[in-house]
Amino acid sequence: MPEPDDPRAGPGAPRRAIVEEAEPVTTSTPASDGRRRLLSSLVKPGKGQLIAAAMLFLVGMGAVMQIRANTADSAYANARREDLIVLLDGLGEQSQRLEGEISDMEQTKSDLASGADTQRVAREEAQQRVDDLSILAGTAPAIGPGIRMRISDPGHKMTYDVLLDAVEEMRDAGAEVIEVNDSVRVVASTWFGRNGEGLVVDGKAVEAPYVVEVIGDPHSLEEAARFRGGIVSEITGPRIGGQVQIEQLDRVVVDSLHAQTKNQYAQPASPQPTPR
Amino acid sequence: MIPLLGLVAGIIVGLVLAPSVPQPLEPYLPIAIVAAMDAIFGGLRAYLEGNFSDRVFVVSFVSNVLIAALIVFIGDQIGVGSQLSTAVVVVLGIRIFTNAAAIRRALFHA
Repeated sequence: MPEPDDPRAGPGAPRRAIVEEAEPVTTSTPASDGRRRLLSSLVKPGKGQLIAAAMLFLVGMGAVMQIRANTADSAYANARREDLIVLLDGLGEQSQRLEGEISDMEQTKSDLASGADTQRVAREEAQQRVDDLSILAGTAPAIGPGIRMRISDPGHKMTYDVLLDAVEEMRDAGAEVIEVNDSVRVVASTWFGRNGEGLVVDGKAVEAPYVVEVIGDPHSLEEAARFRGGIVSEITGPRIGGQVQIEQLDRVVVDSLHAQTKNQYAQPASPQPTPR
Repeated sequence: MIPLLGLVAGIIVGLVLAPSVPQPLEPYLPIAIVAAMDAIFGGLRAYLEGNFSDRVFVVSFVSNVLIAALIVFIGDQIGVGSQLSTAVVVVLGIRIFTNAAAIRRALFHA
């Protein structure tokens, strides 16, 4: 053999490669040599084998350690610092992106929620206004505390202006709903007049005893009726000679309605405010 | 025969005692193992070709392992550690295949 050296000796390796190329020609001798040496190594071990055994012992132990470390630890335990930094950067970027997405979505969510909220509030306010206005316009029945004023007029001396005075006094005292004789709802356009002997309210004849039901603060209403020189004094005075009974009630029900007619000429001067 | 027993004994000791790799050496152990495999195949080839020398084997084993680890270490220091370890593995893999081919020829005439 021309090479005295191990294959890893620097100059040995290329030469050996050339030999390998040429090997088929001279193959019989080294091959039988190789088998013979392998067999002889099995029967009579030498010092070199001990050293090789020590090396292989180290390699086997190292390999097992490495395999264990690989399987036991997570995939990142053996990663290089730069790889870990790259991984960490990627994860940080991703989490930043996702957090931005989260905040965007939460913004959208709160926008939608507040939008729905304002719409709901606006609708509630509009409904409230409708309720208030329909009570004011007399198109809805109403219920609440108030008084019932019963005016008897034995001498038939009541005039429509006394009744109008009574209504005005009640309005002064904060009356919210007024009804005459359980049949006529007093609204903004209500008029009082005379029809022969009887009184007419909004075109309907009303007869004594006149019962005026009023929703409002009962105490204020009664005081407003009874003050000296007020409507009670006027009715019970010598000119009319009637009697007035006033009872305060926790619950006055007004269910007569005023039929609203559509305005023929008047229109709102500005566009109706949108309920917002 | 004895080297084979040594390998088995090393595997058994590794399995039973389960020693852990020192933390600073951890990145270099895989490359050192590949280098050691290269040295072992080279030594077997030399043995089969009749020019085995235990001194050369030990020196080449140790220097292979140390140089492989050193290359990876330097690569880590200058920031190309993963590329350099790939390069080392490729080179050692080629050598292992070459040695294995020589061993095959020596043993099986093919």
